[in-house]
Amino acid sequence: MKILVAVKQVAALDEDFAFRDDGRDVDADFLIRDLNEWDDFSLEEAVKIKETAAEGGAASSVEVIAVSVGPEEVDESLRKCLAKGADRAIRVWDAAIEGSDPIAIARVVAAVARREAPDMLFAGVQSSDQSFAATGIATAAFLDWPHAAVVSQLNYTPGAQRALFRRELEGGLLHEIEIQCPAVLTVQLGINTPRYASLRSIKQAAAKPIEILSLANIGLNAADVGESGSASRVRRMYIPDKARAELIDGDVAAQAQRLAAIIREFKGAGTGGGAA
Amino acid sequence: MSGLLVIAEQRRGELRPVSLELVTAAQKLRRGAEEVGVAVIGAAPEKLVAPLSVAGVDEIVTVKVAAPEFDPDTFEAAVSALIAQRKPDVVLVAHSVDSFGYAAALAAKLGLGFATDVFDAQRIDGELVATRGGYGQKVNVEVDFPGRSTVLLAVRGNVFKPPEQPASPRVAAFEIPAISSRATGREFVELAAGDDVDMTGAEFILTIGRGIGEESNVAQFRELADAIGATLGCSRPIADAGWLPKSRQVGQSGKTASACKLYIAMGVSGAIQHLAGMKHVSTIVAVNSDAEASIFGVATYGIVGDIFEVAEELRRLF
Amino acid sequence: MARTDAVTRILFEAFSAAEVRLFYALGYAAVAVFCYGVYVQIRKYRRGAALHLEGRLRTRLRDMLGTVLSHRTLDRRDPAAGGAHRLIFYGFALLFLGTATITLEYDILEPLFGIRFWHGEFYLWFSLVLDVAGVAMIGGLAYMMYRRGWLRLPKLDYARPDRVPSDPDFDRPQYRREDWAFLWILVTIGCTGYLLEATRLVWLQGRPDVWNVRWWSPVGAALAEGLRALGLTARGGAVFRHGLWWFHGLLALAFIALIPFTKVKHMFTSLGSVLVRDPLAAQRLPGIPESQAQPGVAKITDFNWKQLLNLDACTKCGRCHEACPARAVGAPLSPRDVILSLREFARATLESGTVPDAAELDVHGKSPGQVSQETLWSCRTCMACVEICPVAVEHVPIIVQMRRKLVEDGAMDPLLTKTLQTIHKTGNSFGESKRKRAGWTKALPFPIKDARKEPVDVLWFVGDYASFDPRNQKVTQTFAALLQEAGVDFGILYDAESNAGNDVRRVGEEGLYELLANANVAAMASASFKTIVTTDPHSYNTIRNEYPDFGGKYQIQHYTSFVKQLLADGRLRVTAPLEYRTTFHDPCHLGRFNKGYEAPRDVLKSLGCELVEMGRSRANSFCCGAGGGRIWIPDPVGSEKPAQNRIKEAAAIPGLEVYVVSCPKDLTMFEDALKTTGNEGRFVVKELIELIREAIPARRPEEVSA
Repeated sequence: MKILVAVKQVAALDEDFAFRDDGRDVDADFLIRDLNEWDDFSLEEAVKIKETAAEGGAASSVEVIAVSVGPEEVDESLRKCLAKGADRAIRVWDAAIEGSDPIAIARVVAAVARREAPDMLFAGVQSSDQSFAATGIATAAFLDWPHAAVVSQLNYTPGAQRALFRRELEGGLLHEIEIQCPAVLTVQLGINTPRYASLRSIKQAAAKPIEILSLANIGLNAADVGESGSASRVRRMYIPDKARAELIDGDVAAQAQRLAAIIREFKGAGTGGGAA
Repeated sequence: MSGLLVIAEQRRGELRPVSLELVTAAQKLRRGAEEVGVAVIGAAPEKLVAPLSVAGVDEIVTVKVAAPEFDPDTFEAAVSALIAQRKPDVVLVAHSVDSFGYAAALAAKLGLGFATDVFDAQRIDGELVATRGGYGQKVNVEVDFPGRSTVLLAVRGNVFKPPEQPASPRVAAFEIPAISSRATGREFVELAAGDDVDMTGAEFILTIGRGIGEESNVAQFRELADAIGATLGCSRPIADAGWLPKSRQVGQSGKTASACKLYIAMGVSGAIQHLAGMKHVSTIVAVNSDAEASIFGVATYGIVGDIFEVAEELRRLF
Repeated sequence: MARTDAVTRILFEAFSAAEVRLFYALGYAAVAVFCYGVYVQIRKYRRGAALHLEGRLRTRLRDMLGTVLSHRTLDRRDPAAGGAHRLIFYGFALLFLGTATITLEYDILEPLFGIRFWHGEFYLWFSLVLDVAGVAMIGGLAYMMYRRGWLRLPKLDYARPDRVPSDPDFDRPQYRREDWAFLWILVTIGCTGYLLEATRLVWLQGRPDVWNVRWWSPVGAALAEGLRALGLTARGGAVFRHGLWWFHGLLALAFIALIPFTKVKHMFTSLGSVLVRDPLAAQRLPGIPESQAQPGVAKITDFNWKQLLNLDACTKCGRCHEACPARAVGAPLSPRDVILSLREFARATLESGTVPDAAELDVHGKSPGQVSQETLWSCRTCMACVEICPVAVEHVPIIVQMRRKLVEDGAMDPLLTKTLQTIHKTGNSFGESKRKRAGWTKALPFPIKDARKEPVDVLWFVGDYASFDPRNQKVTQTFAALLQEAGVDFGILYDAESNAGNDVRRVGEEGLYELLANANVAAMASASFKTIVTTDPHSYNTIRNEYPDFGGKYQIQHYTSFVKQLLADGRLRVTAPLEYRTTFHDPCHLGRFNKGYEAPRDVLKSLGCELVEMGRSRANSFCCGAGGGRIWIPDPVGSEKPAQNRIKEAAAIPGLEVYVVSCPKDLTMFEDALKTTGNEGRFVVKELIELIREAIPARRPEEVSA
């Protein structure tokens, strides 16, 4: 019984960042890397399913495998996943993968899934850096698996034919769905409370090996990934001319005065707020 | 070579307003006599023809399916069939919870050009170029789709203004074979309403975020909101922690401050999910001790300072 | 006239041989029971984890004897108790030694070697000294009874904040019973001893070598006069004496036999505890050996033998309970009750023949004897408990080691979890990029040396709060200007500096602490400097006391002693003396932890300020509540915060103008408390550095900070 969890090491911008010479991305020196916030939740959900099955005395145990696509620095995030309860970790990398968009990455993840044959595949709804919200669902298309996005509550027994879940819609509405398994589900924040991985457990997880796969290992070639395998191409990246907020200066009293004036002006002009 | 296709969204029998915004986006990308068609997929699609009859729509295509609500397999099959027949240059869907469930799968399966959360699009030298955000919305990214005859764009809501003029577009039904879906939609569940607050209708909202620190500080801001006549809202972490009911959460998954005209965000950093729910508001005042907080990028006015001090001073003036 | 040479007391006089044999048999039995009891206790301690003690035994013995004989730890904050206990201690010791002396002669020296000394002058002085000792002991005991029964001191109240009335171990009547039994039995032994003396005198009134020297046992003699006056005859005296002798003897033997099973064992356990104390107990926490699988304490047997001994040394004196700031504001923590719970747990599980299964040895939870999460997380690691404990119980390391297990399990407040993750990612608790750490230097009109690039005399370790918190940044900038004006050759580590880790360690995230400590030690190794100065007491504590374990041994000062030296050397001169009425709040990590009480006061006085001490000052300073990671844990809604409690204490000083702090966290906590207690406008909270700046106005027109 396997659950494959696709995770991403995302990049946040450091202070005073600069663009690469070709202007199509930020200079890597200015990127701070960490595990994608959504992946904390999807991994935790998988580990919870594993632990519940073990407590209930299930016949076969559930193996949670974390998979990510990226160069060596991604190992740090995978090690965090191992510390948080994943049993194994897989990293796929090849120079050709550079410049891949979510569709190309999904092709890679699907290939790993074909290799591992899990019973379920979890991913996060989106990544906090590029927020495409696409990789998980695109993977489902390559596998031709049933799929659903924005899962905020899940009821799944390992090995079952069906799973019951709720997707979180706009406006705080939930939609209950029953889906055939195996399936790909993208998990939303707040579905559970991710556990803390102490540094000690992260260090000890260093003992668990991370399997490194190449494109050849998973039956793909260079044309399947990178720019040639992507559905879009970055032309340029730039800092937007943001209409900078007008900063209200002065001491706190002056600032509050100005804010009060804005409020009163709004109330005088309009119908006044809908206070509750 | 054959026009633009907009996929409308509906839920519980109502047309989702973002569908109309897509029409405006389509207008921007139209070339010459290209037609804009809007597809509405559902169990009773003809009921939504009226609200979709607006200027800019040349044709409304109704697709009758078994699933009354959104279902990924259903939409993928229906839209694939539409694309196969109509061969549009551009397909526009909303960047929404529904499209999260199927757009990428469609793009992957059909080999479409694909970009999501697009807030601007244009043709440069005949090429379709879309603009989206990157690195937590701190930069803009221009993407194009070399070699793709059809491009699927998921467009951000509350960016394009919906057309106001009514019109009388052609209506045609599009037949597709029965779709066997691998998922079954069941009931809708309203989150336990903490209080009967109408966030989407509120014109004046005061939102608190992680910056308030502890639960015991919520009371101060609740009181302030009452004093200034605002509806109290919150960002996701506050609702997740249970300090305020989910019904007060503003953001992508929470409520959209649709009717809001004045939005004051205190201690809110401006994570993308939250911005999605309020960045469209005409007057936004952000108060945060971090001068680099993303919220200042969308705010009209900004106060860099201690939110508690500002709150206290403001309270004194009401 | 009797020859005083021959004066002595004939033991077992008028007892039959059978009685004597019976007595000896009972005596041996009592000793055997005593030995068995000791064996059970020692077996219990040995069931704990191993520990290698540092230091030489001789030094430890000398220190222990000094502490115990002087009773100075008992005098602290309760000189009456100290005095009374001295009487009991010395009284009992003398009485015991006296009996031992008799045994020495009677059972060993005389039969084996024919040596006799217990007669004549020696015997008479012996009798007098022991009589006085008896009075001292009973007097002390009487005072203790008065304390407990009439004064009803709050710290002797066994009401506990970490349980509710419905819990089975909420009320501990057995403690009260044991306390009173102990007092009454000892008093009875003492009093019957005198009665015994008196009745013997009445019985032997006809014997001049007894009767004529009776006033060498003044109490006994006085009682004898009284008894005779009541009509007791010699014959009656004999009978009573015989009965009292057995009663007194049996009671005493029973007392001895029961020592290891009762509160009385504190006589030994407290000596032992003081002997094996760690003088750096809370300042320098123990690491986790690589070999240890599970970090921290999960089972009672994870405690080492010294900690188990600590548990038994506690005499429930209540000083730690009184001193604890968490308890004072109603948090579910009393250091006393943590120790007592664990003690009960150890008794229940480790004193029987076999040790129960691991599942029953879990010390975390809410069952009797266990310690709950809420209790452990309430601790501010301010060390008030460790510092005041008369018998060297080390509460803080026990709490931290239990926290290590909670951290491993992720059983923490979500905000704390997030903060630890943030510190791991960015090296600071604010989540700011490392590059921004020295952002405060940009506002200065002069550059600050980068200690990584050029050698400096003084390395200034700035710390998290001083670097990133806007209010504290002003203080940091002021200090930089002062150093500059004093001509100090100083530099900082810029973005190579990380959170020093003091509080991370005290939260129990030892792995993250190791990461931070190693990173900072490596950063300092790449720099060239003579000494370190820091404006952050938490950093001061850990760099001074704990970094040596990570290969970082430095000469480090807190800024208060550094500035004191600068003033003494004339490198800084007070040109505009202040006349504020001030009070000084000793920061825990500078004062109580590292005994840095005087330097800040000397500096304040050099500035011309009038210093009025608060009631709780120096070693008894009341923690602001931010320590032990509590600044990253929200306080329960509606509760009083320790900082508010402290500000109210200061507000009681008439005419107070400035509340002076010398720690960044104190500044934050107290400025907040000033507002929330409604004292804003009555006095201000200022960092000592800001006062120094005021008294030494900048020579340049452009001042760095307000």
